[in-house]
Amino acid sequence: MDAIEVIGLTKRFGDNVAVKGIDFAVKMGETFGFLGPNGAGKTTTIRMLTGMTKITSGRALIHGHDIARDTLAAKRLMGVVPETSNIYDELSAWDNLIFTGRLYHLKKAEIERNARDLLDTFGLYERCHEPAGGFSKGMKRRLTLAMGLVNNPGVLFLDEPTSGLDVQSRRLIRDVVQDLARKNVTIFLTTHDIEEANVSCDRVAIINRGTIAAIDAPEKLKQTFESLQSIEISFDAVRPGLLEALRTLPQVNDVRKEGDKFRLYTADPPEVLSSLCTFTQEQNMRPISVTTRGPSLEEVFIRLTGLSVGTKGEVRETDAGMV
Amino acid sequence: MPGWFEGVSRDIGAAWAIARKDMKIYYIKPSILVSSLLFPFVMFLAFAVGREAAAGTLIPGLLAVTLLFSASSIEPVSIPIERRTKTFDRLLSAPISIRAIVLGASLSGALFASAIGVATTVIALIVLNAGVMNVAALLLGFALTSLCFSTMGTLFAAYRTENVGEVMSLLNLVRLPLLFISGVFIPLASMPGWGQSIAVFSPLTYAHDLMLFAFDGTTLFGPVIDVAALVLAIVIFQAAGIFLYQRSRE
Ligand SMILES: Nc1ncnc2c1ncn2[C@@H]1O[C@H](COP(=O)(O)OP(=O)(O)OP(=O)(O)O)[C@@H](O)[C@H]1O
Ligand SMILES: [Mg+2]
Repeated sequence: MDAIEVIGLTKRFGDNVAVKGIDFAVKMGETFGFLGPNGAGKTTTIRMLTGMTKITSGRALIHGHDIARDTLAAKRLMGVVPETSNIYDELSAWDNLIFTGRLYHLKKAEIERNARDLLDTFGLYERCHEPAGGFSKGMKRRLTLAMGLVNNPGVLFLDEPTSGLDVQSRRLIRDVVQDLARKNVTIFLTTHDIEEANVSCDRVAIINRGTIAAIDAPEKLKQTFESLQSIEISFDAVRPGLLEALRTLPQVNDVRKEGDKFRLYTADPPEVLSSLCTFTQEQNMRPISVTTRGPSLEEVFIRLTGLSVGTKGEVRETDAGMV
Repeated sequence: MPGWFEGVSRDIGAAWAIARKDMKIYYIKPSILVSSLLFPFVMFLAFAVGREAAAGTLIPGLLAVTLLFSASSIEPVSIPIERRTKTFDRLLSAPISIRAIVLGASLSGALFASAIGVATTVIALIVLNAGVMNVAALLLGFALTSLCFSTMGTLFAAYRTENVGEVMSLLNLVRLPLLFISGVFIPLASMPGWGQSIAVFSPLTYAHDLMLFAFDGTTLFGPVIDVAALVLAIVIFQAAGIFLYQRSRE
């Protein structure tokens, strides 16, 4: 049985179809990332999977329980951390946790034990009796996460858990999530942060305008996009027309200027390196630094979501169908 | 049937948790308590001054109106606010039924209004030197009237908006006319026929009648009909609330 199984899931808001019949399955204990630009339908998908909003058509099963029919059984299994830190500002961190535990019908002793552990894990213990409204953004986020964990969920939904946080809070949340993954908790997280998806997720789905463009392990996604390998080079001097000249080199797909560096996209870095050698000699320029890089998940993402890569600003048809 | 019983006990547990949370956040606040306690006395001054009627005869009507307002005023404010802060989503994603959400939200208003009702009565009895004939009927009346109108408040908050003003103006569109067609300020006997036929559909009519019975035994419908009518109104409002909240989940 899969932890999450989604079949033809669709959400319509009036004429706007926010999620267009997506299918995917998340295995037990897997960390699954949902990566997509603003308005792609990430939050809408989470809201359907967690029963916060009705499904227009299609099905979603959590540990085999249909969220639309067997709602309560499905909800009992999950923890939810929404996009907005939705804590009760007037209540203390402690009371927020206790209230959440009560909604899950847990025993008093169990709620209190979990609350203490979570406050400790998230570094909120000292201030757990002050109104949570006075907390900083990062503290509110940590409390929201703690509230999502109070029922020891088997499946945890995280909608952009770390967006807008400082390094320390981000680190803490990432560590907790990785720890849960080790304890075989299934994690479904949405993010804009490609590096986060790359580091934490077993598999990533790239969603754009309500459809899934690709689903695979981060490394495999990168491999699919050999043409997105690149060479980063900087010269001792920059002259006008250099960018255009670099674009005319054989095997170069695109060139992007990044600060004092140029990034040349190619499927064949060795070939481009040798033509670069000739080029610099002809032009009487000296390279200061040269690095070759494999495709980053960011570039894969940009390619798949049809946003432009590089300065040409062209919108490419995605190769998503093949993935 | 253990499965059925399990479901009901979970619903009651969740409703009680929601009611306690609402009490803590919205009701047990000095400003709310003071204004809720002052309300009946301001009303009293507004209606008693310059009239010949004995002050004591105003008490049942004032109590009915006080219960109406204190029970139905908070949920229409708190629910749109919780929609805006997204805390309402917490209730939607928790493993609890819509029934528990509607009951929990109404229960806090009902407990609060009942407490205000008791406090008002005690003060009124001391100040006006009046007496209560039937304490049990009075307390039952407080409980049912409060639950009836707090459910009405919750029902109006089902209108899916994050804007408090919208819910309040809708609610007042119903709440204020109730005052005039329920025999509180204008006795039913001196109302035209059409007014009387509307009055029988107003829960406030029965609430007022039950209070009258509790204070001096005068009653138009009798306590049994009053109680039955209030229970019926609660059931209808709860059912409508469950239906509307179910639907407002988009
Ligand atoms: N309640 C709603 N009513 C109408 N349209 C909605 C509603 N919620 C979302 N949408 C629409 O659905 C689409 C997807 O929105 P969604 O919030 O799921 O995107 P997202 O991927 O989470 O974006 P972001 O990264 O900005 O959070 C958008 O076009 C949005 O306008
Ligand atoms: Mg979102």
